[in-house]
Amino acid sequence: MDGRVTLSQVAMRFGDFTAIQPTSLEIASGEFFSFLGPSGCGKTTLLNMISGFLTPSEGSVAIGGVDMTRVPVNRRPTAMIFQNLALFPLMSVYRNIEFGLEVRGVDREKRRDKADELLDLVALAGSGDKPVAELSGGQKQRVAIARALAVEPRVLLLDEPLSALDLKLRQHMRTELKAIQRKTGITFIYITHDQGEALTMSDRVAVMCDGRIQQVADPMTLYRQPRTDFVAGFVGENNRFPGRVTAVDGGMVTLDAGLPAPLRGYATSPLASGDEATLYVRPEQWRVGSAGDSSLSFGGVIQAEHFEGAWLTLEIALDRGGTVRAHVPQALESTGIGSQFTVGSTCRLDYSPRGALVLPGIERGRANEESVDVAATA
Amino acid sequence: MWRQLHSRFGLPLTMAIVSLMGIWLIVMVLLPQWQMIDYSFHPALLPAERGGAKDVWSLTNYATFFHNEIHLAIFFKTIWSSVLVTTLTLIVSYPLAYYLAKVATPGQAALCLLLLIIPFWINEILRTFAWYIIFAFRGPLNELLFALGLIDRPIRFLNGDTGVLVGMVYAYILFMVFPLYNAIESLDTNQIRAARDLGAGWGRTHRRIVIPHAKPGIATGCIMTFMLAAGSYAVPALLGSPGSRWFTQIIYNWFFEGGDWNQGAAYAFLLLMLCIVFVTVIMRIFKVGLGDIAK
Repeated sequence: MDGRVTLSQVAMRFGDFTAIQPTSLEIASGEFFSFLGPSGCGKTTLLNMISGFLTPSEGSVAIGGVDMTRVPVNRRPTAMIFQNLALFPLMSVYRNIEFGLEVRGVDREKRRDKADELLDLVALAGSGDKPVAELSGGQKQRVAIARALAVEPRVLLLDEPLSALDLKLRQHMRTELKAIQRKTGITFIYITHDQGEALTMSDRVAVMCDGRIQQVADPMTLYRQPRTDFVAGFVGENNRFPGRVTAVDGGMVTLDAGLPAPLRGYATSPLASGDEATLYVRPEQWRVGSAGDSSLSFGGVIQAEHFEGAWLTLEIALDRGGTVRAHVPQALESTGIGSQFTVGSTCRLDYSPRGALVLPGIERGRANEESVDVAATA
Repeated sequence: MWRQLHSRFGLPLTMAIVSLMGIWLIVMVLLPQWQMIDYSFHPALLPAERGGAKDVWSLTNYATFFHNEIHLAIFFKTIWSSVLVTTLTLIVSYPLAYYLAKVATPGQAALCLLLLIIPFWINEILRTFAWYIIFAFRGPLNELLFALGLIDRPIRFLNGDTGVLVGMVYAYILFMVFPLYNAIESLDTNQIRAARDLGAGWGRTHRRIVIPHAKPGIATGCIMTFMLAAGSYAVPALLGSPGSRWFTQIIYNWFFEGGDWNQGAAYAFLLLMLCIVFVTVIMRIFKVGLGDIAK
């Protein structure tokens, strides 16, 4: 079963508005692939073009190497799990799951066998005769998965299906979805604005913004080596230091960002002295120490602290700089050092250059003094 | 309901609302109906004889109906034709309602609804008379068909039932479109998309998803259209021929030409019973309750 999905220069325009810029992408058969981006970035439009609800303005969509651009939605080897699930409320669980098989003219007994098999897979055995309205949120979720899998799609499309569930259930369903994907070997294409979902489940993630794919990579690469400013800010949190390159030494770059000490970080793209560049430091990369610790290069004043459970987030106003966010692990907190981190007190901080990334260019849209980008972590 | 009204409006206003409703129901609906039923079970008498020895309860007026083959035939023809009108109106309205509810953009839907409603600002008689002109022997429709070469001599549309059927479908289409539109509009579009995505063609999607959901709306539309069609007077009077008389015309004749109100009341009561039976049957067929229809 070939579940390859090939997008060749697909674009989508609605009048003057371009929802998807010409995009090419190859999703491997059996891959768990996510589109991650803020709402309005075009990820749902892309999904609709793969499922057949939308015909692209340009380019082509192929599934398993067969061109599907003009094939209507009911003839495509895809199945979709909708954000609101869209179970048929007037039908029982069985009738819901069997719907796609009924359409294909599968006889009654075979349908029922298949439905029972799928109910087993999603851990809902014995609930077949229940009306859909009687199920809990998580159970409905499972029925939706079973209903989509019943038609044996080559590609399963998931449109933020977990967004209606509460946190615990959502985390549990992530594990389960991943397990189902491994067991069935079907290509999963998952749409989400929740980076946690994208990072934990996916083999590869495409980060989207304004109708354009910013980067396609496995979750770890995406987090460690974002290729654009948007990805650096959207996937995880980052402190942003725009400045000018003063020295380049192998992969390491020294940057003047107007702070008392030069900043150092690694670059994956070629940079030369005098280039504009931005350095990114993740909040967990900071080492925060007492005001007297001269081994730490930067000084600052603690502006606010937020207790987050496993760590403490400090907002620190750097001397001659903007405000940065730093995570201090709670294990460290409990040793007693934490007592100095009170709002209003001064501290020293530093980071390891190996953990800071430098990307060419400065995001012009943002003021230079605004060095913190608090990413939407919905 | 009393408690809800009471907590929202207070005692005096609630009393006022409830008693107004009560007075309306009793004076405008129940008493006149009762009077008609009472009439129907009494013989037609001269004013001097009322209350006298001859003024007794009797079923004579109903017997007259069941012994008059022509009236029986017209009664059943009225039922059959009203069912036909209802079916035709449903067939015409369903695609329209679906288009308005699920396909059209809000702007297109608003424009369509406006175009549908504007003609209804004109009196029903005039609208019906417009069809009379269109259907006339030397009228525009015949001219058009002739010009297109589809016929070589004019058709008498106003002979037989064609004119009446078309006129009624047109006259009552809104009463079908609106309940259908409301019902289809409330369907989550993702349900339709899900059915399509699972491989269902358009036919099956409508049969299995849209129509079951729209059932209360279909029932409401059918009931309204049937009642209006069965009780219609103007359309058959204008567009009908002597051969396509409606039962309402017989009732009218008893009242105003025959001057026999008692006989007319019996016929009117029979028509009312027919409508009640129809409503009940439709509600059974569509498995909907009064509550669903009132929505």
